[in-house]
Amino acid sequence: MSCDHILATQSYLDGQLNGAESEVAERHLQTCAECQQFAAQTADLSDALRQTTRHRAPEFLRARVRAALKREAGPTKVRAFWWGAASGGGASALAAALALFLFLPPSAASLAEAIADAHARALTSGKTIMVASSNHHVVKPWLATHAGISPPATDFAAQGFVLTGGRIDTIAGARAAVSVYAHGNHELDLFTWVDKNGTLPPSTTVHGFRTAFWKEGDLNFAAVSDVDKAAFRKFIALARE
Amino acid sequence: MDDRRHRFETLAMPHMDAAYNLARWLTRSPVEADDIVQDAMLRAFRAFDGFRGGDIKAWLLTIVRNCWLSTIAGSRRRAHASLEDQELPAADASPEETAIQAGTQRRMDLLIAQLAPEFREVLVLREMEDLSYREIAEITGTPIGTVMSRLARARTQLRESAKEFL
Repeated sequence: MSCDHILATQSYLDGQLNGAESEVAERHLQTCAECQQFAAQTADLSDALRQTTRHRAPEFLRARVRAALKREAGPTKVRAFWWGAASGGGASALAAALALFLFLPPSAASLAEAIADAHARALTSGKTIMVASSNHHVVKPWLATHAGISPPATDFAAQGFVLTGGRIDTIAGARAAVSVYAHGNHELDLFTWVDKNGTLPPSTTVHGFRTAFWKEGDLNFAAVSDVDKAAFRKFIALARE
Repeated sequence: MDDRRHRFETLAMPHMDAAYNLARWLTRSPVEADDIVQDAMLRAFRAFDGFRGGDIKAWLLTIVRNCWLSTIAGSRRRAHASLEDQELPAADASPEETAIQAGTQRRMDLLIAQLAPEFREVLVLREMEDLSYREIAEITGTPIGTVMSRLARARTQLRESAKEFL
């Protein structure tokens, strides 16, 4: 490796460059034989590495950790604060404030949290899929029956995103249909739910998960995953087609 | 369940596969990985009040890596174990012998296991956990430039040793 641009080329291939830097690297790659060879080799290697083992935490270890956390946290205490608040004159004001809080439509920011949390919950419980199938003729009608929504549930296996199944979930009080995809060792969830006038948050990273939102008519869509930025963008482009 | 534990379980537990995967690749031992992950999750829980938002996955993996470093330090009775000093125990069998029969997956697993730890960790964090250079730099406590050059070297080495079947 003697080309001075090899690290920049690598950064470009890994999706680590911003727009302007990315254009420079792309132009260089078009003219440099050595970087082209590096790019081809890195791609081959990434394909091979996608077949390597991403170890998953065994179930007994999850249980052991949960038990240890429980011991560590100690017994749950009754919250003195609530007793104090309830006994004072502030009780009704507090109740009113709580009621207001509960009935407010979820803000855009909390929606991004809700999607990331729903995805995380499913991963933690290991119950990401309720109907397992890579056939959209199976997944689509199942989602239509159970969630009352019929999202496309298209398989993008040829593009690297394998449809593995579907489940129903709850987002901001609404029932959502979730199409579940696998990309290498990672999982992508595509949420679809009905919402006529809610505002959607911008795409952000929440709690280590990437999220993206868009609307088609009355349907809201949200993609969430911990895949890298380039793969996530590719998936969104496919899903929005 | 109290709030703090609930919050921790919601935010941190989903990244336990990532924690375990890193521990498995660092130690190359299921038993040691179990202990390191449990230790790391408890330490993370104790330090959770100090976590002020940000990237929880990177934060958790940093703790996993530190737990791993302290087990090395403990076992070697040295205050400062560094990755470069660590000698690699041999893999289960001679890779040449084993790899002949094995599929690409097993072969690649063996080759990654034989990389030096500082190369192995950047490769695992990048290729398996899809973390950004910035996140990897944060987890490994090295400058981004070092992450980039280690990653390039890890890929070149791996590519070299996988030449005959890739």
